[in-house]
Amino acid sequence: MKKSHIVLLVLVAAAVTIIISMFGDFSTYETFASAAQDQGKQYHVIGELAKGKSMEYDPLKDPNHFSFYVQDKSGNVNQVVFKGAKPTDIEKSEQIVMTGYMEGDVFHCSKIQMKCPSKYENDKVAVANQG
Amino acid sequence: MDTQYIGEHLGPGQLGHFFVILSFAGALFSAFSYFRAANTETSDRQGSSAWLLMGRNGFVIHTAAVLGIFFTLYYIIANHLFEYHYAWKHSDLSLSPKYLLSCFWEGQEGSFLLWSFWHSVLGLVVMFTARNMESRVMAIIALVQVALATMLLGFYLGPDINIGSSPFLLLRDKMVDAPIFSQPNYMEFIKDGNGLNILLQNYWMVIHPPVLFLGFSATLIPFAYAIAALWKGDYKQWIRPTWIWSLFAGAALGTGIMMGGAWAYESLTFGGYWAWDPVENASLVPWLTLVAALHTLIVFKVTGRAYIITAILFVLTYGLVWYSTFLTRTGVLGDTSVHAFTGEGASLYWHLLIVIGVLMVISIALLAKRWKGLPRVKAEEQVSSREFWMFIGSFVLFLSAVQIIISTSIPVWAPLAKWISGKEIAPPVDPVAHYNNIQVWVAIVLALLSAAVLYLRFKTTDIKVFWRRITIVTAIAIVVTLVIGFAQKISTLQYVILLFTSCFAIVATINYAVSIQKMKLMKLGASLTHLGFGLSLLGILLSSYNKEVISYNTTGVIIPYGEDKMENIRESMQNVILYKGITVPIGEYDVTYLGDSISANDPRTFYKVYYQRRDSVTGQVKEAFTLYPDAFVNPKGQEGGMSANPDSKHYLTKDVFTYVTSVIDPAKREDTNAYKKHVVKIGDTVFVNRGYVVFRGFTTEVNNPNYAPEPGDIAVTAQLSLRSLGGDSMNVAPIYYIRKNFEHYIEDTIADKRTYVRLSKILPEQNAAELMIRQPDEDYIVMKAILFPYINVLWLGIVVMVCGFFISMVNRITKKEKAAKPY
Repeated sequence: MKKSHIVLLVLVAAAVTIIISMFGDFSTYETFASAAQDQGKQYHVIGELAKGKSMEYDPLKDPNHFSFYVQDKSGNVNQVVFKGAKPTDIEKSEQIVMTGYMEGDVFHCSKIQMKCPSKYENDKVAVANQG
Repeated sequence: MDTQYIGEHLGPGQLGHFFVILSFAGALFSAFSYFRAANTETSDRQGSSAWLLMGRNGFVIHTAAVLGIFFTLYYIIANHLFEYHYAWKHSDLSLSPKYLLSCFWEGQEGSFLLWSFWHSVLGLVVMFTARNMESRVMAIIALVQVALATMLLGFYLGPDINIGSSPFLLLRDKMVDAPIFSQPNYMEFIKDGNGLNILLQNYWMVIHPPVLFLGFSATLIPFAYAIAALWKGDYKQWIRPTWIWSLFAGAALGTGIMMGGAWAYESLTFGGYWAWDPVENASLVPWLTLVAALHTLIVFKVTGRAYIITAILFVLTYGLVWYSTFLTRTGVLGDTSVHAFTGEGASLYWHLLIVIGVLMVISIALLAKRWKGLPRVKAEEQVSSREFWMFIGSFVLFLSAVQIIISTSIPVWAPLAKWISGKEIAPPVDPVAHYNNIQVWVAIVLALLSAAVLYLRFKTTDIKVFWRRITIVTAIAIVVTLVIGFAQKISTLQYVILLFTSCFAIVATINYAVSIQKMKLMKLGASLTHLGFGLSLLGILLSSYNKEVISYNTTGVIIPYGEDKMENIRESMQNVILYKGITVPIGEYDVTYLGDSISANDPRTFYKVYYQRRDSVTGQVKEAFTLYPDAFVNPKGQEGGMSANPDSKHYLTKDVFTYVTSVIDPAKREDTNAYKKHVVKIGDTVFVNRGYVVFRGFTTEVNNPNYAPEPGDIAVTAQLSLRSLGGDSMNVAPIYYIRKNFEHYIEDTIADKRTYVRLSKILPEQNAAELMIRQPDEDYIVMKAILFPYINVLWLGIVVMVCGFFISMVNRITKKEKAAKPY
């Protein structure tokens, strides 16, 4: 076997390994109930703001604590705590995609993405809590 | 319904429609003529040149029509003719003239127009420079222009089926069912447009999209040359112009991507220049494949190898440019992107797929047709040759592009995955880590190759000389790595390796330029580009590895939401509340919010934040500056909302990046608040405006001049201590007493007697107290501050890289080829 072929082969093998391992990173969309089965593991949950439930954000108390309720796709309503400032316009959102994990009965999320019925082209607002 | 509408200006729209049709017809005519010219080149020379002339005229007419569309639309927007949907949707009366152009790239039609405009301009340059390749190359360019022109046609075949969408559509045609349009004088009610997205009202957004689109458009030319070469089976003549155009495209697209990063850094608040957002990825991936193609093209030019992969990479690059439009414009990304645009309906989806399909079918068919005669070299290349490692480098670039595009396209292929496995695949939970963890290895390999390859020669290298030079360079690089690594405390394995490889790239390219190329400017293109690449990697590493949120831990306490894990607390406490006039330590600064200000001709509110840095020993002020992060409070259509823009203090070695995440509702500011009830046990904390109050217990000792004891009284004092944001402590002692079966209270006040604390009840069975606290809502902002070290290294690297591209390009243009004439 020629040297150049060996180098290429090694490269292809490395690429295949990386691409296969990459699939392990991909998350899945879950409901509160299915996310609760694996406590502490990060998932994506899609839902909408539960109407008539309270929303708490008091920057005077803690500017990094926002609590609200979301109804997921299966219809369950669950409390969600976001560690960050309250996203603007969350009241108007049609859909919320949250990234986070269940701990006990509360869904702790680190990222909120909202779809708003905005007049603008750019109608998605994302709030991430990445350092 | 034949209503005679009043107050409409229909002239510009009709003119615009005419230009749209003309641009389509001109491109079609040009493509057909050029096609005929190319096919009759050998059989009928005279006929061919007649066709060629018609093709040129067709293209010039097409270009004029595109300019016509542009100026008509500009006229409509500049004159606020809101009867046109485009003007109504993307502009308003308050729009500052400098942002008029930005309206073009907010909408789908304007973006396609911009794209079409650059293709036309570049097409004219090709027309004058392509010589005897003109007919074939221009046939391809004109064909693509036909496809783009259909995007603006706006033919409605049904309520939901349309071919393209015209920027000259009237508001009343777009919203047929709205009752307002039954009134002939509806224009009297449409006073103002919707306005331009505030995110686009930024100077970077005036220059970033045109440059990015110039880069996208420039990838068409190498593609067209590659197809033209296959068309005739002439694999020699295309090399030089393709090389030059690839360098141009690489520089333009690279600059465009960098400006996007600069825009994100300066006006988006995710706190960085790159977030691996799908829209960013979609523009990066064609650049990666383009750079790969450029390198394999050079290999092909010098050694005759790698033709097939070069052709495939150029085709792929241009296909990916269209694919990126598909990803960002059709809404297929759905929930995954911060700034993906709204879906424009199924028509655009299929329209774009058809265009991509046609381009790919043409390319694959030509490749298949010419497959047997394609240039190939039987003999194997030397492992010590430059071409072998350039090829490896290109392959790594290609793999990197594959990884990014697979992950970015999750929403595209997720339905298929669901059909197979039943799982709803979502993007990685932490996309930044996902991409970084893979791409860091790509960067490591590329940094090594980009520098080492310079020391190799084509075909065969004297391997001893190579190792001698590399050893010296490696030794210097190790020293530099150690110095930076210790100074910056970089300890994670893969980042130490990346640090070394980028230092290696920088040292090696500088050494190569100085000692081997003797600083001959025209020869420096490759080494400068590679130096810029190394510098960029170093800049990315330094600025993100030690990026630090400095706005936490400000009150000196971890706010007791004890149920959270410690790391979560640290992670999440990145916002700090700043009361007007109260100084808070942030990092090494003392920061004070001084108030907000509004100016008459700017819709933004500016927040004045004053920074002071003191010497830790003497306490003397060493430096002071004011930052003005701003925000659109209550932007149109988003009442109650806010859209913030950051402000940064730039140092040579670091940036202090701040933005406002929340402000007090202006309506609430004057509100006198009622008492709020808090039930506290011993040790509990209550947050008040300027600090927090800890309940320490009760005492029956009552010491207050306002309290005159009487027999039979039961009096209790709550012992509270207030800790203020400034770090001072004081005691607060509200009194509760029962006299003749009635409850009485003596309140205590804190903070300039504006906050009242009352002990309103004692709950002995719980050993708890009920406090009533009244405080005014004070003016405050919630802010985040991030420290970016050495971000200037990144900007410098990109500028050097782009300069390198241009020097190479100029060198290619001015250099006389040995055999072939200049094109």
